[in-house]
Amino acid sequence: MACNSSTCQSSCFRNEDNINNVGEHPRDTVPIETSKNRTSVEGEQPSPCVKCKTNRTISAVGSPSGENGGDAGKFCGDCFRSNLYGKFRLSVTSHAMIIPSDNVLVAFSGGSASSVVLQFVHEMQHRAQKNFEASRDRSLPVFGVGVAFIDESAVYPVASNKYDKSIQQIKSIVYNLPPPLKPLHIVPITDIYPSDSGGKDRLGKLLDAVNDITGKEDLILHLRMLALQKVASEKGYNKLILGSCTSSIACHVISSIVKGQGYSLSADIQYVDARWEIPVVLPLRDCTAQELNLLCWLDGLKTVELLNSRRAGINSLVSSFVTLLQEENPSRESTIVRTAGKLKAFHFNRIPEINDCDMPLATQRRIKRYNQKPQESISSEFFCPICNSPLDNSELLSLSAHDGSQSSKLNVCCCSSCKFQILPKDPTLMEQFYLLLPQQLVSRPKSSNHGNISLLR
Amino acid sequence: MEDMEAKEPRRTGTRLCCLCNQRRAALKRPKTLDQICRECFYEVFEEEIHRVIVDNKLFNPGERIAIGASGGKDSTVLAYVLSELNRRHNYGLDLFLLSVDEGITGYRDDSLETVKRNEVQYGLPLKIVSYKDLYGWTMDEIVKMIGLKNNCTFCGVFRRQALDRGAALLKVDKLVTGHNVDDIAETVLLNILRGDIARLSRCTSITTGEDGPIPRCKPFKYTYEKEIVMYAYFKRLDYFSTECIYSPNAYRGFAREFIKDLERMRPRAILDIIKSGENFRISTSTKMPEQGTCERCGYISSQKWCKACVLLEGLNRGLPKLGIGRSRGLDNGDAKDTRQSSRTKQIESKSCGTLDF
Amino acid sequence: MQLTLEFGGGLELLCDSVKIHNVNVNPENGAAKLIMKDLLAWVRANLIKERPEMFMKGDSVRPGILVLVNDCDWELSGQLDTTLEEKDNVVFISTLHGG
Repeated sequence: MACNSSTCQSSCFRNEDNINNVGEHPRDTVPIETSKNRTSVEGEQPSPCVKCKTNRTISAVGSPSGENGGDAGKFCGDCFRSNLYGKFRLSVTSHAMIIPSDNVLVAFSGGSASSVVLQFVHEMQHRAQKNFEASRDRSLPVFGVGVAFIDESAVYPVASNKYDKSIQQIKSIVYNLPPPLKPLHIVPITDIYPSDSGGKDRLGKLLDAVNDITGKEDLILHLRMLALQKVASEKGYNKLILGSCTSSIACHVISSIVKGQGYSLSADIQYVDARWEIPVVLPLRDCTAQELNLLCWLDGLKTVELLNSRRAGINSLVSSFVTLLQEENPSRESTIVRTAGKLKAFHFNRIPEINDCDMPLATQRRIKRYNQKPQESISSEFFCPICNSPLDNSELLSLSAHDGSQSSKLNVCCCSSCKFQILPKDPTLMEQFYLLLPQQLVSRPKSSNHGNISLLR
Repeated sequence: MEDMEAKEPRRTGTRLCCLCNQRRAALKRPKTLDQICRECFYEVFEEEIHRVIVDNKLFNPGERIAIGASGGKDSTVLAYVLSELNRRHNYGLDLFLLSVDEGITGYRDDSLETVKRNEVQYGLPLKIVSYKDLYGWTMDEIVKMIGLKNNCTFCGVFRRQALDRGAALLKVDKLVTGHNVDDIAETVLLNILRGDIARLSRCTSITTGEDGPIPRCKPFKYTYEKEIVMYAYFKRLDYFSTECIYSPNAYRGFAREFIKDLERMRPRAILDIIKSGENFRISTSTKMPEQGTCERCGYISSQKWCKACVLLEGLNRGLPKLGIGRSRGLDNGDAKDTRQSSRTKQIESKSCGTLDF
Repeated sequence: MQLTLEFGGGLELLCDSVKIHNVNVNPENGAAKLIMKDLLAWVRANLIKERPEMFMKGDSVRPGILVLVNDCDWELSGQLDTTLEEKDNVVFISTLHGG
């Protein structure tokens, strides 16, 4: 890749050590280069790409509306693409997100982030396949890739013809990727309930019991994760890849703070989150939504406009706030994520026990470098049964003060945010609410170590 | 003054106070969503602040306490409530009003008149320290020299030190400021937006600067701005509210606007931001700058010269840019991302007109 | 309808620094009653002399401005739907100015 060559002169991801510099001083590096170009190129000629110094920039060739500044004005298409892929690849390799023996499941929503992540994972697999075929001993297996789409039409009703069209589009995106063939799992969100228990009805009642619109939206997110975990586990995948990008993580940082989840926040925003049965990885953590949209436009990556789960309430307020900040300063989202990234991560924010002898030595070394030191104290955490957030001290205190009465157990075990925005206020409705929740949710191990506290005796 | 009950409740839906069940409810508390009458409001408002003071052991009997007084709503209500609680609960405190005269004609001179009236109204001795006396420059003169860019940086740095110097002159043990929960929530967000992890870790502490010359504390840490203003209005307290003439739009910051939007949607979110701020997992190894003393004036400083002396040197040598901008990162190891003040102004609001942290 | 409107906490600066306004406002287009929503539109059109965005956002007051009708928090009387009556006293106070 061009990005890893030592001759690269730009502020792109030349090598791993460079990342921080680029991140820390966006104003020092980028504006200087553009102004240099501005003075050196006189007259009509627009500045060339800041990286290869030869090709015309994306915006000079003609960029989508509203994409004149930023990367489109700095890079040519090829350099921009290899930059972005470089960020993705660096995240993947340095955190051991994908190793040759893996079978990974890409969560695909149809948006630009999941289109890019699918494309990139595919490219990576494609390269691995070529290496495999070229190598004499064929010792390194090629990791497997599957795609899951969670169908939320039970929650956000859509017209059936529109729905069918979207499903067709998703199928064509996934099946039109060159080989190796990737299985596509279209999973109704109601699959979180046993097939014979009237899932749609139960889900509807469950969501109706949540009065706060933000709470309802967040609960659906938690259920979506549950559905993804379930399909990944049942179909034999060992990693779940999400398309969370800098922009969506920045929004998550602010909304978590606003919901009082300052303690658990750092668990959600790391590259790796192994508190789930199937570890979750975020390879696009360093890419902004603007970059992903630009790539989709450049490469004609198809996105699907489906059941667009409109954000509401607090989440919508936060997302317009972050958009406003990003307009005022294009590096704001990165700053937000970088600041929150300085908070201490949890022990489960790395890939557990890597002693796979299939792994190339270089990968092992990289993992050593980037993973947290294992000797960091492994504290035992308790998790909220609804959102799976580690509980903070005050929440643990109320947990230990709990008198053990059956009906109030859920109320005691949940984090304060779920208590406020999801659980029913009326204690007499708690039992009913508990029964409506999917069983995997409430029977999930509640502690990271041993000593599970079971919700029901 | 107390004749508001004259009007009979005629409107449909006029409700009774949920605490006393007797009088007409006058406001909805953002913290609890309770509808309460004015009398019950006074009581819960004052008692909550009393609890905060007691639970956090903010004061010891016999201490001399300076109240940073700007003449604005927060410090006026703080002075009133604190002298009230001191009497009622026998804190045994000697209270003083401490004001800073930045030398801004048409703004601070007017607000100082308010503080002088408070001195009489609450019977609290007042000390005014002025930039002119301390630094030889008024803000009017500084602005004349440097213009309207970066003037808030000068004012902020000078004010912080002026308060400490005034407190030392009064020989007080502590300085209390009127920062309310909205202010602190805003600061949490701003520190996230700016990437300032060191400040993020201490901005929710109720007491700060215990290692410095004079600890500062914030008895209004859990008090909503809405209630402070309601209290001042119902009690007809005499406060001053005009924007600083040098930063007229300073209060239009994105972060403040966001917090107010949030409060409308979910009032408890403001307290949740404080909870988040208190619970952040910040590794204790985050390096705090070594505290030394300024070689020139003896004020605490992590550098050879304190920030105020650097800025002052620039003014006196006719090089006002000295000490402005990037070098700010020096006095704070983690503040690499500090934007120049002209930019920050767009996201933050109360850089001016209030008593700085 | 005779109303007394009071602007405080810095809002008076938006209406020529006059704090108290005795005004006469009537429901428009033959509506039976006057509600706060109508009054806000009227205030914006008739009393606010500068920077109306400091007073209103959408069709309500800017978040951070307190409203009292006869010394009662308008959050208790239905906010924009609060019905106004003859000789009512409406107070607007900004909390947004320096403290």
